[in-house]
Amino acid sequence: MSQKGTSSFIILRACAVLLFPLSVWFLIKVVSHLGGNYLEARAFVAQPLNGLLLGAFIIIGAWHMRIGAAEIIFDYVHSWARDVLLFVNWLVSLLLIGGAGWAIYMISFAG
Amino acid sequence: MAKDATPARPLSPHLQIWRFTAPMAASITHRGTGVVLYGGTVLLVCWLVALELHPPGFERIAAFANSAVGLIIIAGYVWALSFHLLNGLRHLYWDSGRGLAMRTVRIMSWAIYAAATALAAIVMWAGFFSGPA
Ligand code: HEM
Repeated sequence: MSQKGTSSFIILRACAVLLFPLSVWFLIKVVSHLGGNYLEARAFVAQPLNGLLLGAFIIIGAWHMRIGAAEIIFDYVHSWARDVLLFVNWLVSLLLIGGAGWAIYMISFAG
Repeated sequence: MAKDATPARPLSPHLQIWRFTAPMAASITHRGTGVVLYGGTVLLVCWLVALELHPPGFERIAAFANSAVGLIIIAGYVWALSFHLLNGLRHLYWDSGRGLAMRTVRIMSWAIYAAATALAAIVMWAGFFSGPA
C-alpha cells in the first residue's frame, strides 16, 4: 500500500459506514432466503429494492474486503508471493463485483 | 505499512511473549471474521450467479444450504457478520479518538462477543429454525 495508505484507510472506513446498515438489512431480510428454493429466491431478488440493496451490500462489501485483505497480505507476506496475492485479490474482488452486478441486473431489472 | 521488511527483523506483536486478554482475542477475531466474510461473499455471488444462470444448479445449492454442513456454514457466516459488524462499529468509534480507556475496551470486548452471539442466534432462529412462517 505504498503511498496509498491514507486513501485506503479512508475508503475502507467509508465502505464500513455504508456496510453497517446494509449488513443489518442483510441479516434481517436475506439470510432467511438463503435456503429457499429457486422460485422463492428468484421472487425475492427480483424485487428492485431487494436487488438494489443486495447489489450494494456485495459491491461495497467486495471493495471494503479487497482493501482489508490487502492489509492482511501486507502484514504477513514479505516475499515475491505478495504481489501475486495482491493481484489475485484484485481479480477475485472484480469478479465478485462483476458477477453480482450482472446477475442482479438480469434478475431484478432486465426480466 | 512499512516497506518490505527484512525477514530477520523482529516482528511485533511478539509470538512468544503474550498473555491472553479479551481485547486481544477480539482483535484477532475481527481479522478472522473479515476473512470468513471474504469466503462468504464468494459463496453469496455463486448463489446469485446460479440463480440467474442455472436453475438445476441453484436447486442443488439450496439443498446443500439446508443440509447440516450448509447450516453450519450459514450460521458461521451470520456469526462472523454479527461480530464484525458490532466490532467494526467500535473500530469506527475508536477512530474518532473515543472509547479507548482500557477498562472500557475490556468490557466492550466481552460485550461484543455476547451481543454477536445473541444476534446470530436470533437471525438463525428466525431464518431457519422457527418452522414455516
Ligand atoms: C461484506 C461484509 C464485510 C467483509 C467481507 C469485510 C471484510 C473485512 C476484512 C477482510 C478486513 C481486514 C481485517 C484486518 O485487517 O484485520 C476488514 C476490516 C474492517 N472492517 Fe470489515 N468486512 C465486512 C463488513 C464490515 C462492516 C459491516 C463493518 C462496520 C460496521 C466493517 C468494519 C471494518 C473495519 C472498521 C475494519 C478495519 C479494522 C482495522 O482497522 O483493523 N466491516 N473487513
